[in-house]
Amino acid sequence: MILEALIGFTFLAALLVLLAPNAWAGRLAFALSTVPFIGSLYLWSRFDAVGNALTGGTIAFESRYEWVEVGGRTVSWFVGLDGISLPLVVLTTFLVPLAILSAWTPVDSRQSQFYGLMLFMEANLLGVFTALDFFLWFVFWEAVLVPMYFLIGIWGGPRRKYAAIKFFVYTNAASLLMFIGFMSLTFALGDSIGSLALPEITQAIADGGLETWFGISPGRMAMVAFLAMFAGFAVKVPIVPVHTWLPDAHVEAPTPVSVLLAGVLLKMGTYALLRFNFTMLPEQASALAVPIAAIAVISVVYGAMLALAQKDLKRIVAYSSVSSMGYVLLGLVVFTEYGVGGATFQMVAHGLISGLMFMAVGVVYNATHTRMVGDMAGMADRMPVTVGILVAGAFGYMGLPLMAGFAGEFFIFVGAFGAPSLPYAPVFTALAMFGIVIVAGYLLSAMQKTLFGPFRLETDYEIGPAPFHDVAPLAVLLAAIIVLGVAPDLFFEMIRDAAMPVVEGVSVDV
Amino acid sequence: MVPPEWYLLLASGVFCIGLFGILTRSDALYFLMSVELMMNAANVNFVAFSLYYGDLTGQVFALFVIALAAAEVAIGIGIILVLYRNFGDIDVTVPTEMRW
Amino acid sequence: MVDAFAYVPAVVLLPFFSFLVALGAGKYLPKGGAFGGIAATAGSFLLSLWIATAVAGGRAYNETLYTWAAGDQFELTFGALIDPLSALMLVIVTLVALLVHVFSLGYMNDEGETGLPRYYAGLGLFTASMLGFVVADNLLMAFMFFELVGLCSYLLIGFHFREPGPPSAAKKAFLVTRFGDYFFLVGVVAVFATFGTAAFAGEGSFPALAEAALAGSGDVWTPGGLELQTWLTVVGLLVLGGVVGKSAQFPLHTWLPDAMEGPTPVSALIHAATMVAAGVYLVARMYGFYALTPTTLAVIAFIGGFTALFAATMGVVKDELKQVLAYSTISQYGYMMLALGAGGYVAAVFHLTTHAFFKALLFLGAGSVIIAMHHNEDMWDMGGLKSRMPVTYYTFLAGSLALAGIFPFAGFWSKDEILYEALVHGLNEPLLLGGYVMGLLAVPVTAFYTFRMVFLTFHGEPRTDLAADPEPVRWNVKGPLTVLGSLAVVTGFINMVPVQKVLGLEGIDYLHRWLDNEWGGIEGLSSHHYADLGPYSSGYIAGGEVPTVLVGAAVSLGLALAGLGLAWRLYNVTSPTEHTAKLGGIKDVLYNNYYLDELQVWIAYRTEDIAGGADTFDQGIIDGVVNGVSSVSLLGGSRVRRIQTGLVTQYAAMLTLGLIALLVLLGVNGGWFL
Repeated sequence: MILEALIGFTFLAALLVLLAPNAWAGRLAFALSTVPFIGSLYLWSRFDAVGNALTGGTIAFESRYEWVEVGGRTVSWFVGLDGISLPLVVLTTFLVPLAILSAWTPVDSRQSQFYGLMLFMEANLLGVFTALDFFLWFVFWEAVLVPMYFLIGIWGGPRRKYAAIKFFVYTNAASLLMFIGFMSLTFALGDSIGSLALPEITQAIADGGLETWFGISPGRMAMVAFLAMFAGFAVKVPIVPVHTWLPDAHVEAPTPVSVLLAGVLLKMGTYALLRFNFTMLPEQASALAVPIAAIAVISVVYGAMLALAQKDLKRIVAYSSVSSMGYVLLGLVVFTEYGVGGATFQMVAHGLISGLMFMAVGVVYNATHTRMVGDMAGMADRMPVTVGILVAGAFGYMGLPLMAGFAGEFFIFVGAFGAPSLPYAPVFTALAMFGIVIVAGYLLSAMQKTLFGPFRLETDYEIGPAPFHDVAPLAVLLAAIIVLGVAPDLFFEMIRDAAMPVVEGVSVDV
Repeated sequence: MVPPEWYLLLASGVFCIGLFGILTRSDALYFLMSVELMMNAANVNFVAFSLYYGDLTGQVFALFVIALAAAEVAIGIGIILVLYRNFGDIDVTVPTEMRW
Repeated sequence: MVDAFAYVPAVVLLPFFSFLVALGAGKYLPKGGAFGGIAATAGSFLLSLWIATAVAGGRAYNETLYTWAAGDQFELTFGALIDPLSALMLVIVTLVALLVHVFSLGYMNDEGETGLPRYYAGLGLFTASMLGFVVADNLLMAFMFFELVGLCSYLLIGFHFREPGPPSAAKKAFLVTRFGDYFFLVGVVAVFATFGTAAFAGEGSFPALAEAALAGSGDVWTPGGLELQTWLTVVGLLVLGGVVGKSAQFPLHTWLPDAMEGPTPVSALIHAATMVAAGVYLVARMYGFYALTPTTLAVIAFIGGFTALFAATMGVVKDELKQVLAYSTISQYGYMMLALGAGGYVAAVFHLTTHAFFKALLFLGAGSVIIAMHHNEDMWDMGGLKSRMPVTYYTFLAGSLALAGIFPFAGFWSKDEILYEALVHGLNEPLLLGGYVMGLLAVPVTAFYTFRMVFLTFHGEPRTDLAADPEPVRWNVKGPLTVLGSLAVVTGFINMVPVQKVLGLEGIDYLHRWLDNEWGGIEGLSSHHYADLGPYSSGYIAGGEVPTVLVGAAVSLGLALAGLGLAWRLYNVTSPTEHTAKLGGIKDVLYNNYYLDELQVWIAYRTEDIAGGADTFDQGIIDGVVNGVSSVSLLGGSRVRRIQTGLVTQYAAMLTLGLIALLVLLGVNGGWFL
């Protein structure tokens, strides 16, 4: 029941905030959003799942009610957590209050609607990470897009409509592709499944339940479904070459929305890739290991090169997200303990670090009203604390040891380098690792140009230190990043436990 | 008993007259009357088949259509009045603005 | 009795706490948190001495202290490894850090710098990171602290962030070393993949596993069926990338002269005991692995010898005090690399030790001069400071004699041993012999630029008003100089191998005995063991060991004196002139550092160009396709909607035509017309 309470409370909070007057909607939303966070900490403390939820492990906080029956398949309300989803739930509930706090300064119109939509999105995100029934999951998955569309489209920058529509149409079209892929898989499973519950489907596929359907052989069916779902999720992640909605959406979105977009929404894509493609269809995944690894490496290097060419601070961070997500994909495809586990860990780590970066850039933007690298210099002189945290966050992004990003990246690298299931694994890994040099290049030079040197910015007002409620979330995020970097086992232990069954899904002839 | 072919011929004849009226006239009142004709052609068919099969459903349907037609005329006349008020005419080829 | 080794974490954590204190409360503390740093490093120093005593008492320590990630595949841990090498290094690092902290009171506080809490926080974190690196018991932990050292150097080099120069230098330092660290990281990952562990010491450590695998027992992973020896060489070279970056070896040395933008005490710390030393220390730390791969050793030796000569030539023409010292640092670390590559493990550690003291001394001395000169570093504006600041002069002179390798100062002993090792091992190895020749050629150059610096700064007549009336320095500057000056004189006596060999005195090569676990240590981490593993055999010239020692020492001392003498003739005059015109075209090349900076800038710009091209491609082609799909849909829609004319009759006609078409179609299909 606790998960229902968590999701339900967030929905109710969204409604409440929507009805609240603008003047104190922000404070109310922040107060209400801390409740799910405390709830998720409670979940963490009572977490008792073993193994992976999809492959027959014990599911924590499992709750299942039959809902309707369609075409011989039961659709149910089925939620639960395992070691892969819990960290993401904690990440979501942790980031939302901070994002709401960071919205106090920049959002100055229709506050109640803004915060209401933020909470509505949080509720749906929690649904995505907890749902274990495909239908339910898909409802949440699609419902996330709606608040996001409005958040970008109403409170965004000058080209917000273009960005919002691009985001919505692009990801929605991708969802359609994924939906077709998954549904054809369920049809091909025929009578071997009686519901749309993900664990049941996973087991049915593993037990060879796929049948010939409309003359399509099981093997071909699985491959087609894999490709369709991969393409669908790739847009969400995003992976090169379907990444172009991301920088536009980030540049136009207001800071708190960017935080959630980079911090949580992108993880929906990688989470779904792990759950659907790599857990349900491991054979297809390892058969396609080389091209997927190649795409991952291209995402890393190409994304980093694009970031190097940008002049807008937010665009730099946006493209570097593309780069970081490439690491995640590489980690997933190698099918080793540290690879898959590291990829999941990297989702959380990147969520925190990119959230911090967007937030810090946002705080600078609040003061300067420009994000262009050439327009300002020497910001460290005027906003020492903010810039200090921004620098720390940037080093986190570069993979500085004892910060969460290094842990995620190192796990992926160490898992990928000797991976037996991926041919040429050392070459792919070494190429992808070159990303850590490029990321240092663009972040350091952007910081040098904007933060250091003699102060220069043309404004008709004085720039002083940022207010406390802008800096506080930055400091909290930084602390979380360092804690996870020093003690990655806080999450990595349960992630490993849930990742091992996925890894064992691929038998390797050494 | 009159064979059903005759009814069908009558109905299609009335229908074609109505259709002809719609395609050639541009006066809204003619339109309304032509539509009435086409609907009555359908009614004739309903009743004819009802008689032929000995099933009353068709006649009930015809009654519904008549009632609907009456309602439609009420709305149609209203639209025509609005047309006249806005355009000073009841020519349906004049108001073409409500396309996209 | 309390176990000294229980305090190993405290050695690392004390400076870390001083970092936290300075960061959090430095504003409210006297002297911007300086005393916290001094207390912490003094505490670390005392603990290090205690630990060294414990090692001297015949013990060692190799424990895993913290599990970072407990995977089944690999266990990633933090631990402490205390053996003679790390105990020695701990003492050096903490001592230099302590003296630098004290010196900073004079250089930073007394000079009225702002942002002192940030400065002391940086120093504390720097020291802590380096100490963590020194005690690391595995390669991953070493890498992590290695990177943190890089971060601290970034923060401290860019300390004066309001000026344009320091942030740029800081960026360059981090980026260039990052490039090296990339290879290091690949190497770390490769070590894990190959051996499943990255421990430095013990039965299951990776050097031991590599040794066993090469001996044919034990099975390790190699990628793609690569031959084991080849793969180990590749791994060794990968890790070497990080060493080349951090220890500023050719071609990744370019960051170091720029790093002079940082405050002078920071330069002392970076050059003498922390960042630059980290690279060489790493090779020494995993020497059991490197000794197995002769190719890597030869590469190390050649890079080292080349860098020693290469950097020394650039030092000849520099005008600024700290620039000369910067190039001398690169050059001296080149010697250490030469020693390591030549199988002279002890010689390298010896030079690391002596260099730590005399280079810290020279930098602090330079700092003292800079205080006196009101932050003017141009040697041509100085002159005649000898009589005006005698303490600085005599200590600086001691450091210079050590650097130049003049008997009996510390540098003479260590450099002589390096050259000796390179010579006796190199007689059968052409690459090594090349390194030796270059190292030998660098000796007179080193002596020349060192004394050019001394004469220009301290001798002759003051060339400016500043130099005629320098600002006096206080105890907090003179104290550290005196300590280091004494050390620069006496450190060489801990390892007088030539004297032992020539006079036949046994047992005065204390450092050899120390590193050979004579008092205590860990099995497999002794110089003796490394010598057994190493590929080298000794050859002698002039018929035997003793003549070789004598000839080698005489040649290097003679060359050093020749360099000194030339500098004396050219620059120890009342009003010296540049003399660089005599170099002709070479002068420009040297001034511009062989255009390597330009090359790296060129590479950076070309990378940016490629990035720009990628961006154009991305916006034009990839996003163009996306926007194209949208435009085509919109355009198609706007075309198709034309059939909506708004004429009701047309719609009705279309309906009718559609109906007729449908009827005809059905009719044809149904065969009505047949």
